[in-house]
Amino acid sequence: MKLFTGNKLAVTAKIIFVSISLALLGLLAQSAFASGEGLIAGFIALSMLALALVYFTKISIPMKFFLPGILFLIAFVVLPILYTLVMSGFQFKTGNYVDKPQALERIVADSYVPDDSGLTFDVIVGETAQGEPALLATDYMAGEYFLSTEDSLTPLDESQVTIDPDLGIAVETDGFTRLDPDTLAAQGEALAQLKFAGPGEYFLALEGFEVAIPLKPGLVYDEATDSFTQAQTGAKYVDNGRGNYANIEDPEDKLSPGWRSPIWLENYVSLVTDPKVREPFIGVFIWTMVFSILTVITQFSLGLLVALALDKPLRGRRFYRIIIILPYAVPSIMSILIWGGMFDTEFGAINALLGTKIAWFLDPNFARAAVIIVNLWLGFPYFYLISNGALQAIPAELSEAARIDGASNRQIFWQITLPLLLRILTPLLIASFAFNFNNFNLIFLLTGGGPRNDLDGEIAGATDILISYTYKIAFGSQVQDLGLASAISVVIFILVAAISLYGIRRSKVLEEFI
Amino acid sequence: MKSKKIVGLAITLGLAASSLLGALPASANDKVITVWADESRGPNLLKTLGSVESQKGGEWVAGYKVKVVAFSSFDALKTAVDNVTKDGPDIIVGANDWVATGAQNGKLAPYTPSASVRRNFNPNNWFDLTYKGKIYGVPVDVNNVAMLVNTKLTGKRPATLGEMVDYYLKNKTSKGLKAGLCVAGGGMSWGAHSVLSALGGGAYPIRNAVVDTRQNPVPAAVATNIQNLFLDSKGASNGFFPASDTGCKDNFLAGKVPYAIIGNWEWKDYADKGFSMNNLMAVPGVRKGTFGAAFGSVSGAMLTSFAEKNGNDAAAKSLLSNFFASEKGQVAYQKFEQRPPANKAAAAKSSAAQKGFGGAAATASVPQIGAILNGSSGNPSYWDALPSFWNDVLVKKVAPGTAVAKLNEVFKKNIVAGMKTL
Repeated sequence: MKLFTGNKLAVTAKIIFVSISLALLGLLAQSAFASGEGLIAGFIALSMLALALVYFTKISIPMKFFLPGILFLIAFVVLPILYTLVMSGFQFKTGNYVDKPQALERIVADSYVPDDSGLTFDVIVGETAQGEPALLATDYMAGEYFLSTEDSLTPLDESQVTIDPDLGIAVETDGFTRLDPDTLAAQGEALAQLKFAGPGEYFLALEGFEVAIPLKPGLVYDEATDSFTQAQTGAKYVDNGRGNYANIEDPEDKLSPGWRSPIWLENYVSLVTDPKVREPFIGVFIWTMVFSILTVITQFSLGLLVALALDKPLRGRRFYRIIIILPYAVPSIMSILIWGGMFDTEFGAINALLGTKIAWFLDPNFARAAVIIVNLWLGFPYFYLISNGALQAIPAELSEAARIDGASNRQIFWQITLPLLLRILTPLLIASFAFNFNNFNLIFLLTGGGPRNDLDGEIAGATDILISYTYKIAFGSQVQDLGLASAISVVIFILVAAISLYGIRRSKVLEEFI
Repeated sequence: MKSKKIVGLAITLGLAASSLLGALPASANDKVITVWADESRGPNLLKTLGSVESQKGGEWVAGYKVKVVAFSSFDALKTAVDNVTKDGPDIIVGANDWVATGAQNGKLAPYTPSASVRRNFNPNNWFDLTYKGKIYGVPVDVNNVAMLVNTKLTGKRPATLGEMVDYYLKNKTSKGLKAGLCVAGGGMSWGAHSVLSALGGGAYPIRNAVVDTRQNPVPAAVATNIQNLFLDSKGASNGFFPASDTGCKDNFLAGKVPYAIIGNWEWKDYADKGFSMNNLMAVPGVRKGTFGAAFGSVSGAMLTSFAEKNGNDAAAKSLLSNFFASEKGQVAYQKFEQRPPANKAAAAKSSAAQKGFGGAAATASVPQIGAILNGSSGNPSYWDALPSFWNDVLVKKVAPGTAVAKLNEVFKKNIVAGMKTL
């Protein structure tokens, strides 16, 4: 097999570039593997193999061009979609965030209860003359001293211990050797796992290297039945199949934390059947459609109008063109925040100019109008640019012929220019619709999805679009429901894909593609 | 040509191998406790504790060094905390209202402070870091707000809310005032609690440091006071108290608003403009001698469940006690961070500017009980409900009586639900 072909410079450049890429990917794979992300590590390893095979052999010339794109598409589009799809079938929300082994580990770790009085002991960690781990413990409040090993708790009186004059705690006693800092650092965590003898039913456990607390079992785990029993009341907690150990007698009494648990299509069903989810979802969906369609129509109309105006000889035309492109050149995040300030009720420039006191972001209709206005400002230069380009592409002979046939300017525009423009621009209009359907930045930065009447229990705001509503469900409130948010994301994906596909088919562009 | 191919292949493999070797973790002789903090606390903790390389080890915990990871913002830290499921830090320095969610998600682990550590703090501070009876960290610094008066405009500090409204209405046109009182720090829920309280309401009635479940949190008198002080005869806002906090700080600093509620974390901005801490006070109430209570909350250094997985559980607990909760640690840290320390002995040594906030808090403050404020399932949280309330009465012209009744119901439900988890 011929490994390297081409001139020396090209081969050297290729070797260096591919080697660096492989090395970086190797680093990522190793890091992913070390973090226990086997799937990611496996994908990167396969990518490395594919890259080496494609670029170091002549197995497929077209793949040399397509492979990076394909890999990025899989990594950043296909895999996230699959992950979202999987997560939409899970109970995945605040309280059910980790996996079951992690949740079980945490419940077991937290299953010991401290003494009700909040008793703590200042301790010195050391060992007995026999080499047993031991704690020299001081109950500061009661002025009592103990030597505690795993097997015994020996009370000591004041004459048997040396007391640190500053701290007021016992630091030495006969037959006890304090661990030096290096040994403590090396063995401390192992010692923290030990149960030293404590008062009554309690044992002593290290809470840091200087303090011990009395603990007793609060919950007892039975591995055979996968259940917990509360030591004091006898209440039994079993896996409820929905990501929690729940009390058999009272299913609402659950142990924390819960875990991610499959609930299959329940999140999708709740979109249709649960009024608390369904009603805001429908409202938000309608506004999302209105917002996307209105945005495309207004941006395209203004862009085209300006393009038509500047298509004619005009003094200072170049200057106007530069000015009109400026909103497009300014980072949109900056523009949105500036507009947000300008729309402020009390201190905003817009109310100051109009001499009004309109609460732009507190009234649903004004907030929606503000969103459309700001998006028009942000988007019309793009449509001006593409309309301007498309106008140049329409043969002037068509207009000339129509004019000879007696057509008016209006007739030429409506019956020749606009249909031809639409034919050229339809894919871009559809792309713009899809973009605005998910225009998270605008909504999040300008209105935050509001206004929303929380006092009436509204979940979605008046300007929330599906993606900002989804974000709110996933991250924007105290209770995060990532499973439901994933289900809505899947629905958004299907809707945008379906609408775009329908639009492309109807417009008969890209016929050879679809 | 064949040798060139071999050389090429060797270079490729060599580069890949060297990179992989570079990726292997360094020898882990040092025992290190990892702390995550935001863009303000992180760098200041780093200044206090020093970089891992500069530490000898054992400065605060026997045999251990401390590594501080500073995030680019408070939100970035929150996002990282929300998303991390493994390889997390041992300690997180963050807001106390992260405790409930962190505990529910199994990311925080309980910590039992010793009696000597416990008595160095106000009991409310421990309350802030408690979920279902367990403490999840130690209080680090106190966050509160106070009302700053621009005495260059008003000439004196007000005695009642009515006095403030009168001043605004009389001077609105002549001095070009944009508002009377606005919220520059803490937002329309956390920061504006003192206004609701000055009007006679609150998130929960507190009597003898205990939540009184029998009283109405927002009684009908609040509606009367809003009608008399914040609205005109037609039921529209008189402009004294805006429903939004946008632009408040800039306009206050520009002399266009005479009274503003500001946060202690941004005091420097006001001091730079010549404002004196002597003009910080609690928001006056409707009657002379009464004041609106502001939230006093703490940021906490919280123990994570990752500490145990990292083999640092006991060491992290020691760092909480020996550094974060100690007088020595808080004095050293607040020298850079400049927030009021939560440790009582350290607070006595805090800067003069922060004492103005302390004075306001001493006049009227209320503990921040996340279990109640964060809302119950299907019921809006305090954080969402109060801004909505201001919007209703000041913008939408909803009758104050109606809005007050709704707010009262929301808060009552949250009190009942929250008390069950305390």
